[in-house]
Amino acid sequence: MIFELDLPLEYRLEAGWLARWAEALMQGTALARSCRQCGRASFVPERICDCGCSEGSWKPVPGKATVIRRTSGLDGNFGFVRFDGADTCAVVALEGFEAGDRRGELIAPAGSLPKLIIRPIHEEVPD
Amino acid sequence: MVSVVGAAITEFGRRIDGTSFRDWAAEAFESALSMSGLERADIDLLACSSESDFFTLQLNPASVIAGDLGLAGAATFRVEGGGASGQLAVHAAANAVKSGQARHAAVVGFDPSASQLPAATVKELYGYSFDAWTDGMTGASATALYALSARFFMQAHGLDEGHLAKVTIQNRANALGNPGAHLGRRHSEDEIFDSPVIAAPYRRLHCSPLSDGAAAIVLSANDFVPGSRRSAPRIRGIGAASDKPRLGARNSPGQFRAKSAAMRKACESAGLEPGDIGLAEVYDAYAGAQLQAIEALGLTDDISCDSLDGAFGPGGRLPVNLSGGLMGQGAPAGAIGVGQTAACALFLEGRHRSSLQPAMPPRFALADTHGGVCTTAAVTILERGSQ
Repeated sequence: MIFELDLPLEYRLEAGWLARWAEALMQGTALARSCRQCGRASFVPERICDCGCSEGSWKPVPGKATVIRRTSGLDGNFGFVRFDGADTCAVVALEGFEAGDRRGELIAPAGSLPKLIIRPIHEEVPD
Repeated sequence: MVSVVGAAITEFGRRIDGTSFRDWAAEAFESALSMSGLERADIDLLACSSESDFFTLQLNPASVIAGDLGLAGAATFRVEGGGASGQLAVHAAANAVKSGQARHAAVVGFDPSASQLPAATVKELYGYSFDAWTDGMTGASATALYALSARFFMQAHGLDEGHLAKVTIQNRANALGNPGAHLGRRHSEDEIFDSPVIAAPYRRLHCSPLSDGAAAIVLSANDFVPGSRRSAPRIRGIGAASDKPRLGARNSPGQFRAKSAAMRKACESAGLEPGDIGLAEVYDAYAGAQLQAIEALGLTDDISCDSLDGAFGPGGRLPVNLSGGLMGQGAPAGAIGVGQTAACALFLEGRHRSSLQPAMPPRFALADTHGGVCTTAAVTILERGSQ
């Protein structure tokens, strides 16, 4: 005998300490967390720096990234990337990337979730 | 010292036979209890492991399982650490016995990972099991995250699709000898290379399945081991450690550093070296993860050569996943770590039902489990009992 149960769950997740980062991401911009003690910039932000310091400030970074590794298949296209100005890396969704594309730029996600998505940059003007 | 006086593993697979996880938990427990020579009333602590209430629907499952097992009165709790849940429950129970909090403890791991929810729902839930706020909301699947980690590892060690295929072929073939295994198969390289790419380099046949099932062990403090079980295997050392949950925050995203740390702690507490291990049940959620695990555990100096030369095969220097591992035996999340420990105990005692049961069991065996992309690692070293 099988009991069938439909249990829709409607989450309301607060962004908490990630709010500033998530708000920027929703607009397609990047805020890194800069450690007050050693200056290390993390994007995705880390609350406690590797140096042990828990104090930091939000620092705008360009939102451009270099793809270091990538994977694609039935589960989609994802990259392990480093954003310019950041000392850590991030996993992002790759949108519109061809085999040779290595550089990408953050875009504002559609919908209500702070997705990390980059699109390829083919011609860059130096900042 | 803590002895493993009882051990049992149910059939792993997609159970569509009218049974539920409560039946599997009871089946595993009753079998382990029977092996232990103890009475139900002797069990004073029950540690359950189940990865997710989403799978079972049952919040506080330990209370329901304790009721089903007739263990009302025993201390009960549930341990959750992702894929490592079962091994962490073993640790919690072993520590309780070692400290004198319990004389006899049961550990029961279970999950209906295959049959209670649609596979697509389980996959989505797993996607939120790394860092829901970042990787999860971005939509990165478990396979994609493991694939990115494997890319780093494979490049660092000169590995290719042939190495991955070797793992699948070996583990699924090992599972053929295990009557309780989910996916005993004789795969060819071509079959693997032709299977669809889920997240390169991982193809479908490089991935472990979602399975239903349960496993149980009974632990006794050495002073209270039943007379009939004086030769039972002992827990010689345990170790656990963690890494940052996001790959991007790690300095070495291809290395399972938490596993190395957990292994160091286990070896330290056991007074052993990795080279003393004679048999290992290793966490092979994906083919590459097995290779990453073996390297991180310090069980090889050359993962490329050793894996191709058959060092980890049934007749090799260090047999790995004789049960079939997650890829062959199956992967009911909460049961995995308990099942690995049970398998090691049974192999050391010469009682595993697999046709690959070594005629001369080694002295030490290793059960290795992790959650996330090796974010939460837990290992247990077992020693053959004195005959």
